[in-house]
Amino acid sequence: MDVREKLNILSAAAKYDVSCTSSGSRRSAPPRGLGDACPAGICHTWSSDGRCISLLKILLSNACKYDCAYCANRRSNDIPRATFSPKEVIDLTLEFYRRNYIEGLFLSSAVVGSPDATMERLVRVAKELRTVHRFGGYIHLKSIPGASEQLLHEAGLYADRTSVNIEVPSERSLTYLAPEKNYKSVYGPMNYFAERKIEYSAGRIGRYTPNFLPAGQSTQMIVGASGESDFDILTLSAGFYKQQRLKRVYFSGYVPVNADKRLPALTTKPPLLREHRLYQADWLMRFYKFEYNEILDARHPNLDPYLDPKAGWALRHPEFFPVDLQTADYEMILRVPGIGVKSANLIVSSRRFCKIRLETLKKMGVVLKRAKYFIYHPDIPAGVRQFYPELIRPLLIAPPKHSQQLDLFSPPTTLALPSPSSIALPALAASALPVAV
Amino acid sequence: MVCISYDSSFDGFLSAVFEIYSQRLDVGSFLPDRDTETPADLFQQNFRVETNGDSAMRLRRAIVNQASEDVLSLLSTAFLSEEAGIEMKILAYLRKLFAGDDPNYGKNPASPEMLPLYKIAGAVRHEAGNMLGMVRFSKGPGNFYIARIEPKYDILLLMESHFRNRFAFEKWVIFDAKRKYALLHDRVGESRVVTLPDEESFVKAIQSDSFTRLWQDYYKSIAIKERENPKLLRRCLPVRYWKNLPERQAMAAPAL
Repeated sequence: MDVREKLNILSAAAKYDVSCTSSGSRRSAPPRGLGDACPAGICHTWSSDGRCISLLKILLSNACKYDCAYCANRRSNDIPRATFSPKEVIDLTLEFYRRNYIEGLFLSSAVVGSPDATMERLVRVAKELRTVHRFGGYIHLKSIPGASEQLLHEAGLYADRTSVNIEVPSERSLTYLAPEKNYKSVYGPMNYFAERKIEYSAGRIGRYTPNFLPAGQSTQMIVGASGESDFDILTLSAGFYKQQRLKRVYFSGYVPVNADKRLPALTTKPPLLREHRLYQADWLMRFYKFEYNEILDARHPNLDPYLDPKAGWALRHPEFFPVDLQTADYEMILRVPGIGVKSANLIVSSRRFCKIRLETLKKMGVVLKRAKYFIYHPDIPAGVRQFYPELIRPLLIAPPKHSQQLDLFSPPTTLALPSPSSIALPALAASALPVAV
Repeated sequence: MVCISYDSSFDGFLSAVFEIYSQRLDVGSFLPDRDTETPADLFQQNFRVETNGDSAMRLRRAIVNQASEDVLSLLSTAFLSEEAGIEMKILAYLRKLFAGDDPNYGKNPASPEMLPLYKIAGAVRHEAGNMLGMVRFSKGPGNFYIARIEPKYDILLLMESHFRNRFAFEKWVIFDAKRKYALLHDRVGESRVVTLPDEESFVKAIQSDSFTRLWQDYYKSIAIKERENPKLLRRCLPVRYWKNLPERQAMAAPAL
């Protein structure tokens, strides 16, 4: 099997891993080496599903010994299997990198043999790239559940980011869908990295302090394969952000790849809207200073498909609105639906010099489609500064895009007017008629 | 009213502004040298300003003193947009700034003169940031890595430090096909702007090799069919860039 065939098989096997960021790490090129890491991350291209490609995302091998129901590479599937040698991966990475196709390498693997043996091969690739080839680009390594701490430690020294996927948002469903896995084996590497990272960043950081996992960790969970509510998912991810200090939690709308009676049927469409709403909620937690239990609670366990979570929160909390842009805190302006971080910054930095009028907002490029219902500005008289959530909700929900187009050639349908005789006028008493004098 | 012609560089523009103040010129428009299509305005007198490093320097210092370093870099970035009339917009801002009516004028990003410049500079920076990922090198003769780009704005020099740091020990050249100049790097720590002697042979040197084909394969197999989204793709990766991206070249524009 040549490299081209292997690349086709092993990149197609890795495509359900969502994580493709190259951010969070600042490294200048090593002496006489190739490549650096840019803290903002760089997207190199976008695939036809609209997802950004910044890393060479491949599996080292797809010959898995596990049999997880949701996975395309499970043992019981009859698919072509392939395994890269470390040298092939390294060559591909370096050559792609020199041509500026990629920002670095995302290396994952199916579990071949023992978890330790698999992890050892992943680490060997990263180590060789960093030490032999003096590669300074981004490396994302998958940590294999159940791998030994020594290997994990080594992975943290060479990789920018590691991830271990939780896959299913509750332990009960996980053991149901993936009998060989449990939460303990997933949390193991995650907690280990989180603890080591705190250790490495404690105390004095000098020039020679080794960089341990500069871009942190991430994880991923499948949405729509098991019965968890959005509230469960957000609670879990808020815990990851707080306790394990994860940088990102990814959601992947379940694409049915296997016929399995434990899973949705093969014909189900991936729940893209739900995934989108979850990401919106995730953004609220990471950039808009929302708590997970503000976005949803036990009484509202699922996100509203018709409204973004921020608008949903605003309508449930009329006591905060309308917001006065001239005096409100930055945090409160951020909570206005439709106003993002950029606009909020621009408003806060310019309101010291001029009044923020509707005109100013338009010129700034603030999107007023939703925001206009939640703010007041000097042009609105004080008497009408009222906020009625029940009136605003229907205005925020977009009407269906296309109404049915009229057909040019079909016979015109006119409204059937009732014939005059069928109209029953209420009988009027003669005395009730006005009498002209 | 005069129409000022200058050599289309930022320093040339600053020298022109310097002359406007020192000679009290009544300016109607600017005509950069790169613009050969716009006919001279019949009702305006042409006035040539040669680039003068000293006066440009003085003006730079004045902008930093009156406003800040950030404003100066914002103005020079907005200038790179090469948009028609950008010079008059910057001039309007500078006039307000130097009039000194409002001591805080330089800090206000939402003033009517600053806001359009702020947005244009944002667009230029956005493209420069995106282009960092969309330069595609191919291996040419003599281990030279060659790339061809056609950005909307003149951003080649904004990307210089990124590629100089990243590929410090490689030899590479990036050619801006729209503006006909290139950035060449063949020694550590040094890159320079060159005009190419012969564009034809340069473009010919860009050939696909086996890694280009591998990259095209990879691009195809990493997409998830069930999630195809041509509209999102076009928003993230505008069609005007596809010509120079080997992974999209072969594909027809997807129907919306």
